[in-house]
Amino acid sequence: MFWQQLVNGLTLGSTYSLVALGYTLIMGVLNIINMAHGEIFMFGAFVGLFLVTYLKVNIFVAMAGAMVAGALLGTLMEIVALRPLRRRAVSELAPLISTIGVSIFLENLALKIFGPQSQAFPSGALSGAEMQLGPVRISLVQIVILGISFGLMFILRFWLSKTRVGKAIRTTAESIETANLLGINTNKIILLTVALASGLGGIAGVLVGLSINAVEPTMGLSMGLKGLAVLIFGGMGNITGAMLGGLILGIAEVFTVAYGASSYRDAVAFGIIILILFIRPQGIFGSSTRQGGRF
Amino acid sequence: MDIILNQYYLQIAIFVLLNAILGVSIYMTLSTGQLSLGNAGFMSIGAYTCAILTVKAGFPVYLAIPIGGIAASFISIIIGFPALRLTGIYLAIATLGFGEVVRVVILNLKITNGALGISGIPTLAAKIGKVFSSLGLSNGIGGLSAQQVSNLMVLVVLILVLAFLVFFCTRMNRSRVGRAFAAIKADEAAAEAMGINTTFYKLLAFALGALIAGIAGGLSAHLTFFIGPKDFAYNRTVEILTFAVLGGSDLIIGPIVGALLLTLLPELLRSASEYRLMIYGALMVAMMAFRPQGLISEETVRFWKGKLGRRVKQ
Repeated sequence: MFWQQLVNGLTLGSTYSLVALGYTLIMGVLNIINMAHGEIFMFGAFVGLFLVTYLKVNIFVAMAGAMVAGALLGTLMEIVALRPLRRRAVSELAPLISTIGVSIFLENLALKIFGPQSQAFPSGALSGAEMQLGPVRISLVQIVILGISFGLMFILRFWLSKTRVGKAIRTTAESIETANLLGINTNKIILLTVALASGLGGIAGVLVGLSINAVEPTMGLSMGLKGLAVLIFGGMGNITGAMLGGLILGIAEVFTVAYGASSYRDAVAFGIIILILFIRPQGIFGSSTRQGGRF
Repeated sequence: MDIILNQYYLQIAIFVLLNAILGVSIYMTLSTGQLSLGNAGFMSIGAYTCAILTVKAGFPVYLAIPIGGIAASFISIIIGFPALRLTGIYLAIATLGFGEVVRVVILNLKITNGALGISGIPTLAAKIGKVFSSLGLSNGIGGLSAQQVSNLMVLVVLILVLAFLVFFCTRMNRSRVGRAFAAIKADEAAAEAMGINTTFYKLLAFALGALIAGIAGGLSAHLTFFIGPKDFAYNRTVEILTFAVLGGSDLIIGPIVGALLLTLLPELLRSASEYRLMIYGALMVAMMAFRPQGLISEETVRFWKGKLGRRVKQ
């Protein structure tokens, strides 16, 4: 029972980590919270669903499609809602409000396009095979989710720390002005980061849609709020924090459901937020000197 | 008279006033430069406390509504103490989280009747109607039916509450407290250096905002006959925030104008009402890009005062 729940928790948690990574990337570079991330995640899930159901493509192609769709939405959001705010000095609350606007817009657009009902991936999308590993029963869906999210997280880590573009992103995260002086086209880098973060959100949408087998316009809000919880829990702009924080939240939620208070499941994330903000506002992996800025 | 005072217009006017009160509640916290996204949560605490008191414990309405507000304010102080060490976006997220926790707790408690919500709350209009009929005026006054009279009385009550709040805020802005709020909004570190106890004033603004939100919640419970956890979800918070974003949060008139416009617009554009929230979203993005201070700011007022003043002189 314990090990089974642990695996379930890890699977759930890895999707939270993936969502939180999207928040973290944007937080690290732009120092803002992208409240629309959950809705981009939801659009990713719907694009994946559409590709699998109507175009009958392979589920992995659908994930790639969802990533592209997420990245496109992210790009659009950066150009329409974030870039105009950078041109003039506005309070730090302005981007928050602006992205809340984007999220409300996207959620209601999705309600209009896809309808309020919950839709499921067709049963043939991924075989329902299950494996017995010692005391643990693990399904193919869970293996795919674990594999893809951990794979993406490690690729991202490597890419940020070793490649030239990754270095440029880290420099921009340190200071946009300095990066500009060093000859980095920061507008391009910011666009790239937002697109990348949103692409990760899009893939996470398909993964979550597969695991709970339900895709609906309101899924973005609850998932977005949980990603936010992880962002604060792990420390703003901290990639390790986002990964581990997601896993911890996933495990905590699964155990809450397994051992009693199942109806309080959604309160776990916020209980964690409120607790962590009181005890250690910079998050468990954050440093106390500055908000965000480093990976 | 009947055309102007029909049920539909009265209902809209009541909602405009209720939303204006909510706008004042977010203005309160914004006047110290803090963005609290927990107003829907405080509103639900007020609404539920009030509804439980009147429905289950038989309290009179005029007592239950202030008690609801005080309950919300009390809880805001408990969570505000640690939360106000947080600034800017941290506070926004913490209060957003708080709102969600309140929603989940209400969804699970027995006394709040879970997802079904509380129904059969005596409406203010019905209460007032009863008073009138006990005075022997069940046929109405001066050609108005009893229902119209009681609805009008509700409207008057709301106008009085709002007028009191506006009076209170304008008086407060010229007092020691109001100047402290403004100083904190302008620059928190400088305010602290000037000897202002920033934590105290921030907490005060937070608690006052919660009190107003709680009272608005209690009023809304007694206007609509039914409350459920869905009434106070994230969308409600965003709606309240939009009032302040559209109208501007420099002056108290800003959120009130915002509430007026945003409550009337969907009624006027009935055909577009299904796009209401989409329009809200687009509006927020556009306002932040083009006019982050909102429609009405201090400069706007100065500008019009200057213009109108000159015209008077001529």
